[in-house]
Amino acid sequence: MDVGIPSTAGPMVKAEGVHKRFGRHEVLKGVNLEVATGEVCCVIGPSGSGKSTFLRCINHLEKIDNGRLWVDGQLVGYVQRGEKLYERKPRDVAAQRREIGMVFQQFNLFPHMTALENVMEAPVRVRRETRATAREHGVRLLDRVGLASHLDKYPTQLSGGQQQRVAIARALAMRPKLMLFDEPTSALDPELVGEVLDVMRQLALDGMTMVVVTHEMGFARDVGDTVVFMDDGAVIESGNPQDVLANPRHERTRAFLQRVLSPTPKPS
Amino acid sequence: MSDIVNTTTTERPDALRAVPVRHPGRWVATAVILVLVAMFAHMVLTNDAFQWGFMAKNAFAGPVLEGARNTVLLTVVSMAIGIAMGVILAIMRSSTNPILASIAWVYIWFFRAVPRVVLLVLFGNLGILYARFEIGIPFDWLIADLLNIDLSGRFFGFDARTLISGFVAATLGLALSEAAYMAEIVRAGMQSIPQGQVDAAESLGMSRSLTLRRIILPQAMRVIIPPTGNETIAMIKDTALVAYVPAYELWFQLQGIGSRTFQVFPMLVAACLWYLALTSVLMVVQHFIERHFTKGSRTDSARLRLARGGAGGA
Repeated sequence: MDVGIPSTAGPMVKAEGVHKRFGRHEVLKGVNLEVATGEVCCVIGPSGSGKSTFLRCINHLEKIDNGRLWVDGQLVGYVQRGEKLYERKPRDVAAQRREIGMVFQQFNLFPHMTALENVMEAPVRVRRETRATAREHGVRLLDRVGLASHLDKYPTQLSGGQQQRVAIARALAMRPKLMLFDEPTSALDPELVGEVLDVMRQLALDGMTMVVVTHEMGFARDVGDTVVFMDDGAVIESGNPQDVLANPRHERTRAFLQRVLSPTPKPS
Repeated sequence: MSDIVNTTTTERPDALRAVPVRHPGRWVATAVILVLVAMFAHMVLTNDAFQWGFMAKNAFAGPVLEGARNTVLLTVVSMAIGIAMGVILAIMRSSTNPILASIAWVYIWFFRAVPRVVLLVLFGNLGILYARFEIGIPFDWLIADLLNIDLSGRFFGFDARTLISGFVAATLGLALSEAAYMAEIVRAGMQSIPQGQVDAAESLGMSRSLTLRRIILPQAMRVIIPPTGNETIAMIKDTALVAYVPAYELWFQLQGIGSRTFQVFPMLVAACLWYLALTSVLMVVQHFIERHFTKGSRTDSARLRLARGGAGGA
């Protein structure tokens, strides 16, 4: 029997003392975090602070070494029976991931498939949708991210911003209940950042639960329901964006914000 | 941050007039080569040892055609088995299961170490080791002894000579040895795929085998195909080793005619021409397969753009 929080009432993501080591290097040193259903949670922090690693733990791309991590009340990657923890079978891990969409810094589109094929792949092969259903849904999603005229293009024929929007549509095609964004605009030319953020903003307005690792302070302030500042493998402070970004309580948060905000104020 | 520079011009200027660089060395080289080619052609046409008429008559004799058919068949079947086994071995070697990984390693180690001729002759002589092959319960005679019962655990069996004919021995030897090389080629192809592709597939809930089949292998094909073409060409030629098994392929038949008629050289020439022709056909096939698997790659987009007759980017 799963010991967890009931699926409806509890938070979408709950992390308790999550630790992660790579060899002898401890990347996560006890991360505690809750993300409510429908919430947009922006994770900020210096590079190397463990934000991306933490995000990858949420859909079990990385195994955690200690602590507990729940998505929608289910332990991620493990099953608890009594006191004992059992690893989930690969098939069950895959089933959990199905419900969690992820968008990567480097897009990671499948280069041998067109935009539409990228979006249809998982629904057809994993969710066993018919090609017609998947196609119809895929076309609708690509239209929603503004790429209706690029269905049959291969990733190399698209700009970075367009590729990232295909990647968002691909993740949405699995009808996830949670979306993870791993620095989705960091690999983009500055003039292409806006089009990706617009898509994400629209997604937030539609009520999607989102965890966004980002360096876009403007997005965090305007779209985020909460902002989490991570440093050195732990959450230093979190709260509503106005408080964290405008009046950080912690010295480290203040120092970080000064570094990222001072040189060129970003238009939002 | 950048000024707008108008680089478009309404009229194309006249082409630049300049005397091109002269290459006298090329003319000298061409002359030398032409003389050498003429000498070679003259020798080939006038030297009686070539026996062109004899060669033309015998290069397409019945046994030779049958041999050529066997050569093609051997190549196709052993490459097909070799590629299939190679893919399986490559997947085993990169498996997290240590038993599978070490089995694959030992296999590749052994079959790359033993020369093909030795392997082929060995398979040709398997009949010495076993007169019969039988399928049944392993160690049935021991079990029967142990339980003191009369147990015959053999379901069916074959005479070794019927099961392992020359052709089967040859196919087996070539395919098993090819599998070891193909495994390394496939593994290199799989390793060329960035981890991000696996992350993306897994985050969509794709299983490991689905990721392999749909994401990794199709992309790895681009890296796998050129060396596989090489392997296939090498295989066509290695089928000549099968003459030692013996099995009746092209080289065996041509050599046979040569030694029966004491006209060795014309048949050697015929062999060269036959293998040249077979390999050429293969190169054409490879070209089309390569084109199929460059779908969506950078070179492919470049080709598409060129075909559209413009340099316009994405």
